[in-house]
Amino acid sequence: MEIYLPIAEQSMNVFLLFALGAAAGLLAGMFGVGGGFLATPLLIFVGIPPAVAVASQANQVIANSVSSLQVQWRRGNVDLRMGLVLLLGGMIGSSAGVTLFTWLKAIGQIDFVIAVMYVILLTSIGLLMLFESVSTWFKRKRNPTAPRGKLHTHYLVHRLPWKMRFYKSKLYISAFLPITLGFVIGILSAILGVGGGFVLVPAMIYLLGMPTTVVIGTSNFQILFVAANVTFLQAVTNGTVDVVLALLLILGGVVGAPIGSRIAARLPGVVLRALMSVLVLAVATELLFELLRTPASPYSLGPREVLP
Amino acid sequence: MLLLVALLASNAVLGVAWAQRVEQGPGSLVGPTLGGPADSGLPPSVPTSPGTPELIVDLSQPRVSITSAFQGESLLLFGMFDPPGEIVVVVQGPAARETVLRKERFLGLWLNTGRQQFDDVPAYYFIAASAPLQRLLARGAGGEILSLDDRLSSIRPVRQRTPARLAEFRQGLVEVKRREDLYPANFGHVTVQASRLFRAELPFPSRLPEGTYDVRTYLLRDGKIVAAVSRPLPVGKVGFSAQLAGWSTDEGPLYGLGAIMLALVLGWLGGAVLRRL
Repeated sequence: MEIYLPIAEQSMNVFLLFALGAAAGLLAGMFGVGGGFLATPLLIFVGIPPAVAVASQANQVIANSVSSLQVQWRRGNVDLRMGLVLLLGGMIGSSAGVTLFTWLKAIGQIDFVIAVMYVILLTSIGLLMLFESVSTWFKRKRNPTAPRGKLHTHYLVHRLPWKMRFYKSKLYISAFLPITLGFVIGILSAILGVGGGFVLVPAMIYLLGMPTTVVIGTSNFQILFVAANVTFLQAVTNGTVDVVLALLLILGGVVGAPIGSRIAARLPGVVLRALMSVLVLAVATELLFELLRTPASPYSLGPREVLP
Repeated sequence: MLLLVALLASNAVLGVAWAQRVEQGPGSLVGPTLGGPADSGLPPSVPTSPGTPELIVDLSQPRVSITSAFQGESLLLFGMFDPPGEIVVVVQGPAARETVLRKERFLGLWLNTGRQQFDDVPAYYFIAASAPLQRLLARGAGGEILSLDDRLSSIRPVRQRTPARLAEFRQGLVEVKRREDLYPANFGHVTVQASRLFRAELPFPSRLPEGTYDVRTYLLRDGKIVAAVSRPLPVGKVGFSAQLAGWSTDEGPLYGLGAIMLALVLGWLGGAVLRRL
């Protein structure tokens, strides 16, 4: 069954888009990340214009993070103060990102930038996760009762100015770092259409030193508002948010997420992370291959301009 | 076959009532105020034809409606003419500025390095004829009926380059448009029956730019145009698709807020329902 997407201006198979949303939801349920980093490249593979894919995916991220935030908020796993500081950077970053996006689109380089950023991001994340899970696997075999890490270490964070107290995270660090982190995630969110959880979560743990209990909830809090900002700005400046496309992705995600969390409950964490790293690396390789392969035709068309 | 002819004939007769009449000669064609955009530029050589029209044309649909279920569409053009003669149909989409991008290898990666804009590029171009077009055009009517190559030789580059480079980009433009079926590679066939009824299929692909298309039918005799009928064909989104696209362009902030609300509500409900499962 085909449906015409009014903003992408083409018809697409309903079930294909629904399945894409479900796959993203499955990942979200399995690994606790948004799945946007996989859905956006796949949308581009099936022929949705990158600008529409990114903007509509940002719309889907809102739905994803609100249902996850619902749970985390009730359990009190959101550090509101940290969330707001991150959000400050996130709002500036995503607004700058949409401006950058618009400019790249105008000079005809947006597709290339999206592909290159995905390759870099997915390759580094994928490799990090793969090494981490492999080394954990071997360590666990050698020493089943691994010693706990240090409770508190002093990083660079503690020496920067504008120190702030984050009670829930039990941190006294410079606000500069969370703002910068939020800013970078905001740019990623605007250009790649991802929530950025797969970057934000490790950064919050290893860079800021936040306790893992509040990380997921706080990152979802920041992602929700940043994704809403990206959706709004993309709709206003580029008019590339396709709600029909977003709706299908959201509905697919609603079905996929519980299946994912059920799978996750049956597999050990190390195996899950190894699986995910393989998946991430596969997408990165495919994207890289697209960049390196001689295209069937070197020509493409930019946007049509109807002159008055 | 006989049934089809009868059907076509009845259609054509009914069509007389609303089909546009043959253009009435140079006098009514020169002034742009009289003609309007769809009629301007009709060949001045079309002779006046008092009395009954020599050429009657109609389409199976008055417009191409892009609905939520749109997957491209084939329209039937049909009509009647006074024999002898040959029929040529030219369908042209609205003209706009197109940007042609060219990828080149840079540090091993393919990225867009070349760029050329052209003005007055038709969004869509399709020709159908009742005899091989080359033969018809060779006999002298080429000035008014343009093959795709001739039509594209008149598009204006926004930035000047060497003719060789421009030709490459022009070729690239045709390549992309062909890929999207907007410049169908094959000439269409106008089927003539009982030497006075004709019909042709006009193929429109799923990724169809909106605007007013111009469907022009010519009657040729000995290589000369003796009659021509021009019909505007509006192509546009209708219904739900049109609503959404309209809001997206005219009410950007409202559309954005609506999209956010939709995602919030669905995400919230989805999360709430799933926890019960």
